[in-house]
Amino acid sequence: MSDPFSINGGSAVAMVGKDCIAIASDLRLGNQSLGVSNNFEKIFGFGDKCFLGLTGLATDVLTLKETFRFKTNLYKLREERSIEPETLANLVSSTLYERRFGPYFVSPIVAGLGHKDNKPFICGFDSIGCIDFAKDFIVSGTASDQLYGMCESLYEPDLEPEQLFETISQALLNAVDRDALSGWGAVVYIVTKDKVVKRVLKTRQD
Amino acid sequence: MFLTRSEYDRGVSTFSPEGRLFQVEYSLEAIKLGSTAIGISTSQGVILGVEKRVTSSLLEASSIEKIIEIDHHIGCAMSGLTADARSMIDHARVSSLTHNLYYDEDIRVESLTQSVCDLALRFGEGAEGEKRLMSRPFGVALLIAGVDKHKGPQLYHAEPSGTFYRYDAKAIGSGSEGAQAELNNEYHKSLTLEEAELLALKILKQVMEEKLDCKNAQLASVTAEGGFQIYSEEKTDAIIKTLNEQATDEDTVIS
Amino acid sequence: MQTTVASEYSNEIHSVPIEHRFNPYSDNGGTVLGIAGEDFAVLAGDTRQVEGYSIQSRYEPKIFDVGDNIVMTANGFAADGVALIDKFRQQLKWYKFDNFGGKLEIKSAARYIQHLLYGKRFFPYYVSTLIAGLDEEGKGAVYSYDPVGSYEREQCRAGGAAASLIMPFLDNQVNFKNQFIPGTDGKEKKPLKYLTLEEVIELVRDAFSSATERHIYVGDGLEIKIVTKDGVRTEYYPLKRD
Repeated sequence: MSDPFSINGGSAVAMVGKDCIAIASDLRLGNQSLGVSNNFEKIFGFGDKCFLGLTGLATDVLTLKETFRFKTNLYKLREERSIEPETLANLVSSTLYERRFGPYFVSPIVAGLGHKDNKPFICGFDSIGCIDFAKDFIVSGTASDQLYGMCESLYEPDLEPEQLFETISQALLNAVDRDALSGWGAVVYIVTKDKVVKRVLKTRQD
Repeated sequence: MFLTRSEYDRGVSTFSPEGRLFQVEYSLEAIKLGSTAIGISTSQGVILGVEKRVTSSLLEASSIEKIIEIDHHIGCAMSGLTADARSMIDHARVSSLTHNLYYDEDIRVESLTQSVCDLALRFGEGAEGEKRLMSRPFGVALLIAGVDKHKGPQLYHAEPSGTFYRYDAKAIGSGSEGAQAELNNEYHKSLTLEEAELLALKILKQVMEEKLDCKNAQLASVTAEGGFQIYSEEKTDAIIKTLNEQATDEDTVIS
Repeated sequence: MQTTVASEYSNEIHSVPIEHRFNPYSDNGGTVLGIAGEDFAVLAGDTRQVEGYSIQSRYEPKIFDVGDNIVMTANGFAADGVALIDKFRQQLKWYKFDNFGGKLEIKSAARYIQHLLYGKRFFPYYVSTLIAGLDEEGKGAVYSYDPVGSYEREQCRAGGAAASLIMPFLDNQVNFKNQFIPGTDGKEKKPLKYLTLEEVIELVRDAFSSATERHIYVGDGLEIKIVTKDGVRTEYYPLKRD
């Protein structure tokens, strides 16, 4: 288990609903089998309807979070508007590819609504920036196998925000419960055109 | 019986021209020298009763073991050269425990009996090259009593010849002829466990030379609920008391 | 004039012998799943068999009716799976001989398989084994094993290539994990109940079509063996073949 992607553990998932998106992650930070923190969020907001989820090596998660905060702030100053999810996706991709031969050990996901048209957008990446544009859901992290199984069976298109919340929560919770490196709490963001709701979930603590 | 000695007496696994294995037949004689043992099977359970020959007042009666547990649901009584029963019982215990280990269930009484009888013919080489374990046939017979969920309470008689039969009631040992006759008279299908206890002691009392008491007789039962249990001296004593009371009652009626 | 030329291969003579090694195991993919109901149990498996990236067969059943109302599967390295099941079948015959034709109860079969597996503790059968049937009370039973015989009776279990995809789904839909009664603030769990056979078949089909979607080792067909007191029944549903 010297794989950098699974030293700290953690998982994230994003889903598209009807005129809304949801993005969620667990809260665990560990050092191999030892749990270190139950308050390590892996979802970060850039602009009001645009989110980035980062799983993998925790140091890279933090570094990239700061890098993208810096880059999106600069973007805002230059463009005088918040970054669009599609633009963030391309920024993530190019940033990761810059480190093609010494990559950040992360599997990012992006989810958000277009600022003008409120068009739902989600995508995922490998550690060197290859974008996976998905119409339905994106998973990442040490419980990604489990998340694929859950999402593939629970997901249906055009869910209303509340239904989407239930679906993504059940998908995440049941997936992380079958992964020793994920869990210890969870957080879910439901993004609709006029508000963002953040919910911290009550979960098993083992 | 076998007054004419012949060369067929010597090789344990040599047939006589009449098709007999003398040593096996003689082993059956050895059992008839043993103390009497009785088994009675009822719908509620099986009763085993044995006579213990307390040959000296200095002999500790409890050290004579003629009823032995094989597993929690099977026990046996023996008659004959009881030392020979050691290896049979060891084998039986191993069979029962191994079956439980492999199958997570109690071995059937019939299977257990079969496995003991497989051992009985190991005074010759086995058909598949098994080693010859013994120099002669066993000189002991067993009454194997047990309960299983398939056939309920059962009683088997296992002989040195390696054959076994299931009985409702069976007596072996020196008093077996008289005892078996009495069992044939008294046995019926609706016998209760208590009646069987009394019957076993009553018959032992008839065939024993000494006066029956809790030192020279022993009882055991196998039931679905309680499994195999050897009766304490106190319990045996109480049953003997009941038996004696019944006897006096009958005497009064007759007189 | 030179007529003989030295072979180029002469430089390739090795001073150290080349070590060749035989790998006794391979992975033939596939996934299996067992669910116990109140008075029935099912074992399901896809019918694809693979070796590396090639599909060896689109229909190679791996759920077997081994007799005495027990169904069995051993998923992973197919040769070991078949060997294990054959061995169990043979032992079942011996059990009949030794026990006067008596029925082998599922719990006894379960214990026996542990010994078959543990017997090869240091050269294991490379399989995840499942058996299903009815217990002594007639209730559905599923037993699952690791490759060396550690076993457990469960309500449901997925095994094989896509086990990690299916198992959390089963936790959620069979044992209602993470499901609560609305309005109780997560204090009252959704009560457990036995699923009907129809519900179970639907769950199994959903689980396999999901696994087929995401796992390359799963697909082609789904064969389900259903055990009830009336015996073993087989159903087949096609899966995507891509």
